[in-house]
Amino acid sequence: MEFFSIFNTQLLVAAVRLGTPIMLAAIGASICERSGVVNIAMEGIMIVGAFVSVTVALYSGSPWLGMLAGVLAGGLYSLLHAFSTVSLHLDHVVSGAVLNVLAFGLTRYLMVLIYGHPGTTDVIPVNLSEYQFAIPLLSRIPVLGPVFFNQTPIVYMSFALVIFFTWFLRKTKIGLHLRAAGEHPMALETIGVSVYKMRYLGVLVSGLACGLAGAYLSIENGASFTEGMSSGKGFIALAAMISGGWNPIGAALFSVFFGFADALQIRFQVFKVLAVPEELFIIFPYIATLAAVAGLVRRSRPPKADGVDFIIERAEG
Amino acid sequence: MSSEHSAQMKTPGKFSSIPRISAIVLAVAGSIFYLAGQFAGAVLILLAGGLYLAGLRLEQGDGGIREAMARWKKILAAPLSGALIAIVIGGIIMLLTGYNPIKAYSALFYGGLVKNWHISVINAAPLIFTGLSVAFAFKAGLFNIGAEGQYYIGAMAAVWLGLILKLPGIISLILVFAFAAALSAAWNLIPALLKVKTGAHEVITTMMLAHTARYLSPIFIRAFGGNPSTSTHPYVTDEILPNNFLPVFKTLFPNANYRLHTGILISIATAFFIQYLLTKTRTGFEIRAIGQNKEAARAQGISIGLNVFRALLIAGALAGLAGVNQVTGLDHKMFENLHANYGWNGISVALLAGGHPIGVVFTSLIWGILDSGGQYMARTTQTPNAIVEIVKGITLFLVVARYISFYLKRYWKRWNMSGGK
Repeated sequence: MEFFSIFNTQLLVAAVRLGTPIMLAAIGASICERSGVVNIAMEGIMIVGAFVSVTVALYSGSPWLGMLAGVLAGGLYSLLHAFSTVSLHLDHVVSGAVLNVLAFGLTRYLMVLIYGHPGTTDVIPVNLSEYQFAIPLLSRIPVLGPVFFNQTPIVYMSFALVIFFTWFLRKTKIGLHLRAAGEHPMALETIGVSVYKMRYLGVLVSGLACGLAGAYLSIENGASFTEGMSSGKGFIALAAMISGGWNPIGAALFSVFFGFADALQIRFQVFKVLAVPEELFIIFPYIATLAAVAGLVRRSRPPKADGVDFIIERAEG
Repeated sequence: MSSEHSAQMKTPGKFSSIPRISAIVLAVAGSIFYLAGQFAGAVLILLAGGLYLAGLRLEQGDGGIREAMARWKKILAAPLSGALIAIVIGGIIMLLTGYNPIKAYSALFYGGLVKNWHISVINAAPLIFTGLSVAFAFKAGLFNIGAEGQYYIGAMAAVWLGLILKLPGIISLILVFAFAAALSAAWNLIPALLKVKTGAHEVITTMMLAHTARYLSPIFIRAFGGNPSTSTHPYVTDEILPNNFLPVFKTLFPNANYRLHTGILISIATAFFIQYLLTKTRTGFEIRAIGQNKEAARAQGISIGLNVFRALLIAGALAGLAGVNQVTGLDHKMFENLHANYGWNGISVALLAGGHPIGVVFTSLIWGILDSGGQYMARTTQTPNAIVEIVKGITLFLVVARYISFYLKRYWKRWNMSGGK
């Protein structure tokens, strides 16, 4: 196999597909962290979303219902994180770590309970990739067409969500309040907006997005749920969000970039065109993140009150 | 107070040091026996406890005993009560989903505490190291979430040197330990440097380096004997030289399990060393000072940067020791995709112990028992051992939330004292 022949349109399509779950979680993470809550539970939320999607899709027969259920389950599970960090004032990283452990145990237990064995669930008959559709005209554009305009439903949704949340953060009043909760919570509280509510909202958005990312893994990219199928994507999403500078567009770009590294890695593994260990491509996102936080790429600054607890001391009378 | 009087006060202390020393000797001997699976060691431990209490009584009267009890209660109450409630909740979950909790739990504890006690101990040893690593960084107000990565570096370093080093006696084993500890400490240089120079959060940097180290390991394994195209044992390194094996208990106790190695003793000794380091040395004092109040520490002339370096490097070395422990003690080689998660679980045991080094020993043992007992339970009663993960998760949540309620109470008090204005 010729070295340059692996760089074709198919590689870019694979990059977008592999980048989609990272992108969804990274968008959610940037909203969550802009509201001031650090969320490392995304891996766990994704697992919950993926498991619930498959199970509901299997029993209802509709992958769309499965997707909806996965999103809702992700949102519900993330509320645990919101409750413990915002209301109970637990350390954000601690709470995230605990929720990851719990998600792993819960899905494994439910798997044995529902499917009778650990490992992999049953396969759903129809998955969402069957609903792939090409947008007329646009999909005819060379290279860009097949990459962006001939995709599966959740991939389209993730594009739409990038645009929506960029608009939401920059142009809406709630978006402004949400950002204020992460930068100057005291100032926000002073003008009479609840910091708690904004932070709950931020976490909830990341939960819903991670639930969708989980659904993508199990019922669009795949057709069943396997233990460990998220394989650290929640953490890579964190990396994409930081490298992308805590905003949805940057996060999305880096997600696709990391997806590209992943796609390249798979090709190198299969075709052995270059005497480079393919693991170096897997490592790439992590090194890129280190470079980003080190200020080598550009200034990447977290919101001022990111991960900082906020306690309202209400005065009486 | 006259000097004569204070001299009189000291004398009973001198006498009671004899029961105290013998209590320590008995406790150490009893623990070694017990950890080796010789349950008669429990008698020695109980005897030591009795002697200790008696000595304390001689020295300080009933008040001393009460004080000691209160101290232990403070350390153990939270994890034990948390675990107990979680076990009850786990039982209810089992009951609701059609399993017999009594049968399951008796299998779990019989397996973890008696039948497969050796596996519990083997499980606990690396957890103690990674738990200590996380706990130590906690003391400096740092979160070494990437202990998993330092664990991999330690394991790789141990294999690398273990394959070639052939020196008499335990010299080469000591060198393997030292080299691996140094290398995994160095793995934390970048997070420490970035923390001090740019303020980059160590949670991000150590986590990214953890994944990096994890994915470097397959490259390392292929380079050291695990190449699938040339090797008879793909995805596993060659075995290290036998002179770099940790001794097993079986050499001393013929009826101990042949896999049970002495890494647990090293890990417990390390826990005591860390406790000593934190409470009795200048370095420990400075590290705790920057963890408690950075500004106050700076005002005292304590260098924040230096102590961040110290804390992260020592934490790295500790997590690396977990890797060495596994390689030299248990596996004698390194596997690809070992889903051991000792680094991540180290966070759990450290949180559970509230960051107390000696507490980490106990919480690691609890975790080890739950793991090995869970496997035994799944095998004998067909109860999914994922219930163990759920029990662990709930325990953690309860214990961590308990510390929070403590902080909240303090907040509440402060607010009340300020007159609620």
